[in-house]
Amino acid sequence: MSRRAAAGLLAATAVILSACASPAGERTSGGASSGVSVTSCGQRLTFAKTPARAVTLDQSATETLLALGLAGRMAGTAFRKAEISPPYRADYGKVPVLSAKMLTAEGLRAANPDVAVASFTAMFTKDRVGTREELRGIGLPTYVSAVDCPKDGPAGATPFDLLFRDYRNYGHIFGVSDRANRLVAEQRKVLDEAARLRRNLKGSPSVAYVYSVFNGTPYVAGKGGIPSEISRLTGVRNVFDDVGEQWPQVTWEAVAQRRPDVIVLGDLTTAASPAGNTAAQKLATMRAHPTLSRLPAVRDNRTITVTAIEMDPGVRSVNVLRALVDGVRRFGHAD
Amino acid sequence: MPTEPEPETPAVSLLHPAARALPVDEDGAPAAAHRRSGRSLAALFALGLAVLGASIAVSVRIGVSDLGYGEIGRALGVRLGLPVEPLPGLVDSLVWDLRLPRVLLAAVVGAMLAVCGTVLQAVTRNALADPYLLGVSSGASTGAVALVVLGVGAGQVGITGAAFAGGLASFGLLMLLLRRDGLDSARIVLTGVIVGQLFSAITSVILMSSADAETNRAITHWLLGSMAPARWNTVVICAVAAVVGLAVTWLYATPLDGLSFGADTAASIGVEVRTTRLVLLTVTALLASSAVAAVGAIGFVGLIVPHGVRFVVGPLHRVLVPFAALAGAVFLVWTDALARIVFSPQEIPVGAVTALLGVPLFLLVLRRRGEL
Repeated sequence: MSRRAAAGLLAATAVILSACASPAGERTSGGASSGVSVTSCGQRLTFAKTPARAVTLDQSATETLLALGLAGRMAGTAFRKAEISPPYRADYGKVPVLSAKMLTAEGLRAANPDVAVASFTAMFTKDRVGTREELRGIGLPTYVSAVDCPKDGPAGATPFDLLFRDYRNYGHIFGVSDRANRLVAEQRKVLDEAARLRRNLKGSPSVAYVYSVFNGTPYVAGKGGIPSEISRLTGVRNVFDDVGEQWPQVTWEAVAQRRPDVIVLGDLTTAASPAGNTAAQKLATMRAHPTLSRLPAVRDNRTITVTAIEMDPGVRSVNVLRALVDGVRRFGHAD
Repeated sequence: MPTEPEPETPAVSLLHPAARALPVDEDGAPAAAHRRSGRSLAALFALGLAVLGASIAVSVRIGVSDLGYGEIGRALGVRLGLPVEPLPGLVDSLVWDLRLPRVLLAAVVGAMLAVCGTVLQAVTRNALADPYLLGVSSGASTGAVALVVLGVGAGQVGITGAAFAGGLASFGLLMLLLRRDGLDSARIVLTGVIVGQLFSAITSVILMSSADAETNRAITHWLLGSMAPARWNTVVICAVAAVVGLAVTWLYATPLDGLSFGADTAASIGVEVRTTRLVLLTVTALLASSAVAAVGAIGFVGLIVPHGVRFVVGPLHRVLVPFAALAGAVFLVWTDALARIVFSPQEIPVGAVTALLGVPLFLLVLRRRGEL
């Protein structure tokens, strides 16, 4: 009992301290054990001490934390959808894999985490790990990527702005702000370089992003996600930008009708993905389609392969940007 | 079927008058009743209760992380105000917020579905009747999808409420379509199928028009039936529904016996056929809607358990209904335990397990009864 009371007192002190002594998201003092609080998707998370047992619920969250050098502060990962990116592989091996697919509510609790991190609010439902309110009630703070919570961010914030806000928040929570700021600066540079493509475009090329194919129909990038923002940055128009959802299910006919000049194909290779979803299989499906096979982008293989999860918000999202810029140049749509 | 009444023996006198017209074996007892006396039935029921208790006690330990009785005892003890050391917060939550309600809900829902199936098989005189025959699961999924996709409100409690409302809406439509005739069995079945198809179509249209991959996944998963969303509030709601449903069904045991021989027979022994059917259909719709709203459409329990139990204790509803409830509870407690551990640390929807286990059991029962 006394331990609980002490913890409660500590938490209360932290709340008071952070409320009166510091603006949101700032450390109260230099010490590693002082209180930190950040806002995540409508909830204020307060950490009396730096979390040491973080659990990530999906690969993008996993790799983002690994990129910040936090392997030693993680108690487990789950739901790997693709190969781990080479720079993070060694660190990934040091953290227990709690589940190959979605973590269950019991699995999360059994790992005894002190924070749960996810890229999507949809992870926090009763049939998955439990709702965020419920987990908050048992003293487990949950961080959800700001990209999946655009209403919460400042007006006019782009998905990359929100992604960088995640990095800074992780920096505050785990006491690695320097590293987080460095990562923001690096990726900001990639964005600025990619934006220069605009000036060198020939005509007005367009692109379709195909994430996955399920029951024979594709899920493509609509408006509001990372791909749509990549299109905005580079000036390579997303042909489904008029659909107000991030990943709408459309027909192959609709893809053919909108005549994208290039197609970005998401590569999904692990067992956690639906079958027939490698980039090569997607291309084969399109080649076998009577209408789509006549589309110049398909006929002449003007396709760009990226790891599908890189189109989700995460530390690897800038790779899609690089790949698109390279591809558009390679296919002669820009100098 | 007008036959001469057999000379009455104690076993036969237990029967509803309509049942006494059944073919009987040489001892004078109906062949299907297996000559069980009241006392041996009581003993069998007590044994069933013990099996259910043991099943709950054993399966509560089984899951992604196996628990010891010490931990379960401590979680319970703290709630009862006993002087035990509380578990660490997250383990306590695993035991108290997830595992216990889940196992109890499996028992409650299993009982609800089995009773539902028993009643509908009698009312519609259709051996293939199951709790979703009236289309409530389709209606419930329409309600849930409409809420998720069209965004009317939010949160999991919202989904449960919307699913329940959808189930009742489909039942309301069914009753509206059936209002002109005397709730004839064949019409109930056909209209139920039609209403179910209509609501499935609406669900598909909503999903296809505006849902993303994530919503599709959530709904598909939910439609298969999963005990994962079980929490104490759903246990309480379902337990209340189950008690009410069981009580009403038990009160209507004799009319149910009559109805299983057809409306004419039932009417000839004084059963108010239309009212009785209306009451029983309403009760099953409420039971099925509550179950579906809580954990999705878990298949096969409501179809197989009544047949299996009828095979053991005979067709008298006074006996059949409580035994079906017991058997359904035990069956779902164990299938859900399997769903938790077969592909651990992942869980599979319990609906997949009930079908995998249910199909061979169903075949076995039909074979034994010489119907296949």
